[in-house]
Amino acid sequence: MRFKTSMSKEPKHTELVGCVGWCNTEEVYTCGDDHILFKWNLVTNETLKVTDLPSDLYPTDLHWFPRAHGKKQGLDLLLITAADGKYHLINKNGRFEKTVEAHKGAILSGRWSYDGAGLLTAGEDGQVKIWSRSGMLRSTILQSDTPVYSATWGPDSNQVLHTLGKMLVIKPLTPNSKVNKWKAHDGIILKVAWNPSNNLIVSGGEDCRYKVWDTYGRQLYGSHPHDYPITALAWSPMGDLFAMGSYNTLRLCDKTGWSYSLEKPNTGSVFNIAWSSDGTQVAGACGNGHIIFAHIIERRLEWNDYEAIVTGRKSISVRNVSNEAREKLEFPDRVIKLALQYGHLVVVTPTQCHIYSTSNWNTPVIFELREGSVCMLQLAARHFLLVEKTTAGLYSYEGRLLCSPRWQAMQPDTLNESSVSISPDTIAVRDQVDDKVVLLFEVGTARSLSDLPPLNHSLGVIDVALSQAGTAAERQLTVLDRNRDLYLSTVRGSSSRKLRKLGSMIQSLCWNSDTNMLAAVQDMNLTVWYYPNVLYVDKRLLKKTLLIKDASEYGKNPMIVSFVGNHIGIRRVDGSLVNSAISPFQAVLHGYTASNHWDDALRLCRIVKDTALWACLAAMATHAKNLATAEEAYAAIDENDKVEYIQYIKKVPMRHAQAAEMALLGGNIQDAESMLLQNGRIFHAIMTHIQLHNWQRALELAVKHKTHVDTVLLFRKKYLETFEKVETNEKFLQFKNEVILDEEKINAKIQNEYEKENAVP
Amino acid sequence: MAESLAKHGIYFDELNKIRVVETEVSQQTNELKEECKDFVEKISEFQKIADGFILMVDTLGKEVEKEKMKAIGARNLLKSVSKQREAEQQQLQALIFEKTTELERLGVQLQSLHKTEMEQQELIEQLVLHR
Repeated sequence: MRFKTSMSKEPKHTELVGCVGWCNTEEVYTCGDDHILFKWNLVTNETLKVTDLPSDLYPTDLHWFPRAHGKKQGLDLLLITAADGKYHLINKNGRFEKTVEAHKGAILSGRWSYDGAGLLTAGEDGQVKIWSRSGMLRSTILQSDTPVYSATWGPDSNQVLHTLGKMLVIKPLTPNSKVNKWKAHDGIILKVAWNPSNNLIVSGGEDCRYKVWDTYGRQLYGSHPHDYPITALAWSPMGDLFAMGSYNTLRLCDKTGWSYSLEKPNTGSVFNIAWSSDGTQVAGACGNGHIIFAHIIERRLEWNDYEAIVTGRKSISVRNVSNEAREKLEFPDRVIKLALQYGHLVVVTPTQCHIYSTSNWNTPVIFELREGSVCMLQLAARHFLLVEKTTAGLYSYEGRLLCSPRWQAMQPDTLNESSVSISPDTIAVRDQVDDKVVLLFEVGTARSLSDLPPLNHSLGVIDVALSQAGTAAERQLTVLDRNRDLYLSTVRGSSSRKLRKLGSMIQSLCWNSDTNMLAAVQDMNLTVWYYPNVLYVDKRLLKKTLLIKDASEYGKNPMIVSFVGNHIGIRRVDGSLVNSAISPFQAVLHGYTASNHWDDALRLCRIVKDTALWACLAAMATHAKNLATAEEAYAAIDENDKVEYIQYIKKVPMRHAQAAEMALLGGNIQDAESMLLQNGRIFHAIMTHIQLHNWQRALELAVKHKTHVDTVLLFRKKYLETFEKVETNEKFLQFKNEVILDEEKINAKIQNEYEKENAVP
Repeated sequence: MAESLAKHGIYFDELNKIRVVETEVSQQTNELKEECKDFVEKISEFQKIADGFILMVDTLGKEVEKEKMKAIGARNLLKSVSKQREAEQQQLQALIFEKTTELERLGVQLQSLHKTEMEQQELIEQLVLHR
């Protein structure tokens, strides 16, 4: 991926240009020390003078009113801050709407908040001020003796990040909240940017380095020193890239900090960079009066044998690496987004969506977009999700709109890959108001979309992911919370949803696209859960179904970017893509068990003789209630107790009792109990609890169903006698006095129950 | 008579013409006049020559000045060219560095792919042997 830059031959501005901003995806406004406000149209390549600014106005910063929220017309306001301490609100035609005297000395930075409710200014006088939209001073959030060179809003418009010499400061606007402050650079920090989508901060300054931070002030990346101070930094709206500007330098970087490409145009210092809202183009204001435009080309995607590269604004070349077949795809308009997965290439232009199948590159399915500004594109096996500025739509690969998921306080433009996940039958979205809630939708057959009950977690969720393979009933959701603990949950199911912890210190994770395997970077290891469902089947087998590889070769903070077939793609922090292969047998085993070919599965395990494979088979067989296979598999991994228990289960005559025992085998006492109770096996349920020494629950059940209270008490008594203990449980003490224990009678009763149980088929 | 006339300041020359000034004096005066004339002529010629010389020196000076400026300009240009080259070199170095890191990245990827290939080869051999 790199920038392709273009500049006019002669600079339009006669003096230094410091301000640049996109009005929409085609129009750029710039102004500089020559007091002229220019409008650049990128489609017609025209440059128009909007207005002459007063000759005493030396602009320092420019920002357009955020469009997503400015639905009302006439709110197209341009904020221009000036070196004389005033800021001006100017409308699209260059008319001054408002001028406010804000600071002593120059204002160095001025930004609208994301919700458009206010704006902030930071000045040479060391003050940072918040203003209402109409220009009333709301608060002065900082008074210091150091000039504040750059300031920006936090994602929720409720925090402000500003520079203070060599420090970065995050100041929440709510009173009495803690200010986060840290030393970030060895020189004065000149520019800082905070992305609302991925919540990352990038800063750069006179020490000629740029650094990427998280909101806790943890450094995620630090660049090598450049030759000149960093003068401009800007995040792309989706937060996957950022651009950096310095003297004669324009750099395109990944969100993790490493650089995709470097351009050395003849621009002088690049004082400001602005991204177009679709994230494909940037404009830079240059010290020598030029405006540099750059668009991203050579975006590269790969999937199985196919490789797609965006070769120009309107063209993509596709290559099949196995037979070297090449295709050149041309589009009538700019390519904004593309995705290649699950046998389809989906390309989005400003007005249309083109869907190609890997089996047929000649006739794409084309449909018109509803709004024409796509924020996100995510593919699944049977359909894909297209998120536009105010709506989200699930489309089939035939180009048909299947449904439009909707939820309260929906803000589609801030959705990203980690907050949304789709699978063939389910959509999971992190709630945009309360990040502890994950909303779930079920994709029906005919355009229907039903809400599943949302999943509530105790902590803020940072990543949601759905498993991709298997049937709808087996759909699983992983939730990564702020503590970086990974939880697994079922999506559907009659009983309440079970959220179980799968691992901790997870940095990144990815579901396999073909089988239900999960790979994650955990602390300093690469962990693959061959069969995550084992959590619900037999928790104790979890460790045996794991693959743990040392991840130290991938360096600090590696990211898993893909998990296709038996290959895991890992992005190191320096940007190199490392391939890691896992054993292919697991996928084969998954295939056999999914299609109920247990004999083949057994044969495979016998040939490979791998503990993890046997453990997976044991769990799968137990899950599928295939006792014979489970028995052999458990025997192979030396779980003798399980083998014996399975042999016991085999002797249990009734099916539902057998099922309950199977649940017990996996340690799911609750499931077993509810299964027994549903089938009227109250005695059996009570006995189960007694055998588990689960006295409280046994007594509860007995009292509730008014049967065998004496049995429970008798067993309890025997138990206490064996251990020479005194009864301390209040409930038991209470019943002890009420019920008379007659051992013979009770034994007879038990005998009677067992006979009755064996008699019923 | 001549003497009495001489008392009154009247003289006769050899051509017997009446003179107010002594013959000798007048003769000398005439000579002086001639010499003065000569002198004036010579001086004016000298002036002409001097003027020409000055003019020539002036133009020469101007030319020298011009050449001097040219030399200084050339020298500065030379200096700036070397600086420009330095800057270009710096830029190229930065670009080379960028490419090197990219190469490193690709090298790492290639290495990992080789490793995967080796693993797969091993697996295939293992399977073939076990048949």
